[in-house]
Amino acid sequence: MSDSVTTLPQRSSRSGSGRGDAHKASPRSDRARADWRKRFEIAILSGPAIVMFLAFVIFPVFMAAYYGFFRWKGFGVPTNFIGFQNYVAIFNDPNFREALMHNGFILVMSLVMQGPAAVAFALLLNQNIRGRSLIRVLIFVPYVISEVIVGTGWGLMLQYTGAVNDMLTNMGLGAFAHDWIADPNIAIWTLMVIISWKYIGFAVILMLAGIQGIPEELYEAAAIDGASYWQIQRWITLPLLGPTIRVWAFLSIIGSLQLFDLVYIIWGQYVASTAGTSTMATYMVREGRLAGNYGFGNAVAVVIFVISLAIALTYQRLVLRRDTAGALTEAPGKKQN
Amino acid sequence: MQWTVKGPAFIALGASAALVLAACSGGGAPSASTSAPGASSAAAPVAMTFWHNSTTGDGKKYWEDTVAAFQKEHPGVTITIQAIQNEDMDGKLQTALASSDGPTIFMARGGGKLADVVAADQVMDITDKIAPDVKTALGDGIFSAFTVDGKIYGMPSSVLPGGIYYSKDLFKQAGIDATPTTFEELSAAVTKLKAKNIAPIALGGKDAWPAAHWYYFFALRDCSQATLDKAAADKDFSDPCWLKAGEDLKAFTATEPFNKGYLTTSAQQGAGSSAGMIANHKAAMELMGAWDPGVIADLTPDKKALPDLGWFPFPAVSGGAGDPTAMMGGSDGFACAKNAPAECVDFLNFASSKANQEGYATAFKTLPANRDAKDVVTDPALKDVLASYDKAAYVELWLDTQYGQNVGNALNGGVVNMFAGKGTPADIVTAVKAAAAKG
Repeated sequence: MSDSVTTLPQRSSRSGSGRGDAHKASPRSDRARADWRKRFEIAILSGPAIVMFLAFVIFPVFMAAYYGFFRWKGFGVPTNFIGFQNYVAIFNDPNFREALMHNGFILVMSLVMQGPAAVAFALLLNQNIRGRSLIRVLIFVPYVISEVIVGTGWGLMLQYTGAVNDMLTNMGLGAFAHDWIADPNIAIWTLMVIISWKYIGFAVILMLAGIQGIPEELYEAAAIDGASYWQIQRWITLPLLGPTIRVWAFLSIIGSLQLFDLVYIIWGQYVASTAGTSTMATYMVREGRLAGNYGFGNAVAVVIFVISLAIALTYQRLVLRRDTAGALTEAPGKKQN
Repeated sequence: MQWTVKGPAFIALGASAALVLAACSGGGAPSASTSAPGASSAAAPVAMTFWHNSTTGDGKKYWEDTVAAFQKEHPGVTITIQAIQNEDMDGKLQTALASSDGPTIFMARGGGKLADVVAADQVMDITDKIAPDVKTALGDGIFSAFTVDGKIYGMPSSVLPGGIYYSKDLFKQAGIDATPTTFEELSAAVTKLKAKNIAPIALGGKDAWPAAHWYYFFALRDCSQATLDKAAADKDFSDPCWLKAGEDLKAFTATEPFNKGYLTTSAQQGAGSSAGMIANHKAAMELMGAWDPGVIADLTPDKKALPDLGWFPFPAVSGGAGDPTAMMGGSDGFACAKNAPAECVDFLNFASSKANQEGYATAFKTLPANRDAKDVVTDPALKDVLASYDKAAYVELWLDTQYGQNVGNALNGGVVNMFAGKGTPADIVTAVKAAAAKG
């Protein structure tokens, strides 16, 4: 966003001054006109996007913050101002604290489970193996399927009387049959398996692209120096894959914090909390929309927003900075330090 | 030279203007199709909008026919129907009512939810506008669901009392001769069904409200009518009967009467749902409202009504303070927007006539609100419901509807927790009290 805005005027001012030289008009007025023209162009071109962004992203955020200070049933204009009571209630609610813990667990476990697996898959799929493109497609397919379908499908298969338990029983492994979804001891692991299955394709594609962006010469040089396959991966691929891994981790963290659809569909509106897979978003829907407490729900939305923003900003400052610092303005050759 | 420079700017201007126009027309479309309510006079043409939740089949057709008949009788009145998916109804209604172009006539389910709309001053008081003959035919009792502070805000269209639906064939197979009237008899029936490897009771625990209904019915038997009404008025759940209801339910759950994996069973979706299990003879009983025969009929292999479906009232609970004949159920109905024209109430009266209610009961396979129309009910299970309904000492509204969404939500959560062994009967009452802090 900022990239296009900053480069656009430079380009047009350069061409504008070029035109000014060709004409015999006084350079100053011509430049002023070009200035005005380019501002007009910027305003016209970016105007609709900015209006949309303000109307549908920024404005709702402020409205949520406003509604969060009211006890409001969603009908008519909120009138019952209660200050920070909603926020006090949120942090005093054990259900919310549980949901927050689940989000934290999902966040960490997603990184731990998917990260190494995705790198391993990417390395494997970067080899010349038979059926490589087919495997790549197959790994990516779950990511393309909509969450609703994935949720419904897994939900049906993992029911107590579902396909998974039927298969286990028919294979003589009936002892391993579990209530995969409703048993609080395993439910969150069931969720982690489904999440990993669903999102690993995305991670693998990112890693593959990252690996293919690493210059071939480095591998050749390493091979000439007599480095083994594992040494090459350890000392060349992994470090140069760093930026990709850090960006993927960022996307994964945001996704974990906002997880809603899979849980809501597989566990339903209330069992998620019972089984120990509720997230902040399902809590918001349950206590806001289902309970009809729209003021409270908005307050939960604000809390989620603030938590996500804090984590995202911290991550950007501490981790992503080294990838983005100077990357936009410096020449491509300088990027590798 | 100058034109070539300006050219792109103009194109850009045109493009963004088009975008803005597109955005505006996208947002403005609904208001174009709805007309401003309030502008009413007998002679001038009146346009109204009507929101209901029957998007398919006989129900949809019934409303189309009824509206056409009404328009024929009232020239100059046009009613635009909008059928909205049931799950979307509440959210859309909320948004539409908050804006100035909400529907003129809309579906209302009474109880606490209606009270919220009344509190926001968005619905018309129709107490004095209901036609006297309609009021007589429907009876006073049924209006209680739509009464807030002594004023009536909605016209009931159906009564949906709850009870236990069962398969007569499976009962016969298990050697159960008479429908259970007490919990001892119900437990005996459960044992017999288990012996035949039939899931005794199907429960859609994933949706939570079917599980909560079990608690509501125990409360109906354990709490006196006065206690239930007192809780509705001041949200006071301190009476020991609320705890006893939870303990009775826990004791019953301990006998494992429900289908395996009931916490991951949904209520109405597909053959694996609780209604689907009844429809396919995989389970023998289900505690539900009067909509169940219609739902089950959709899930049978041939999509026809289940021929051996029977019904009996929720069994008596020993030591309970409630009347054993008392029933609980809901009532669908319709309301008019605050500034609706007079023709809105005319339409509600029109739809409540004997003939139209007969059509309604047939189309929706349910019990009509108009008592004169109940002769068209032919479904044997519904006839059993009707017989009990006529004998009931009193009829309570579903507790979640009656006590409002907030309490209903807390009850849903508390009951599901107890079913999963994560909470106790006392936690249900605690959860209801904690909910008060949020709304």
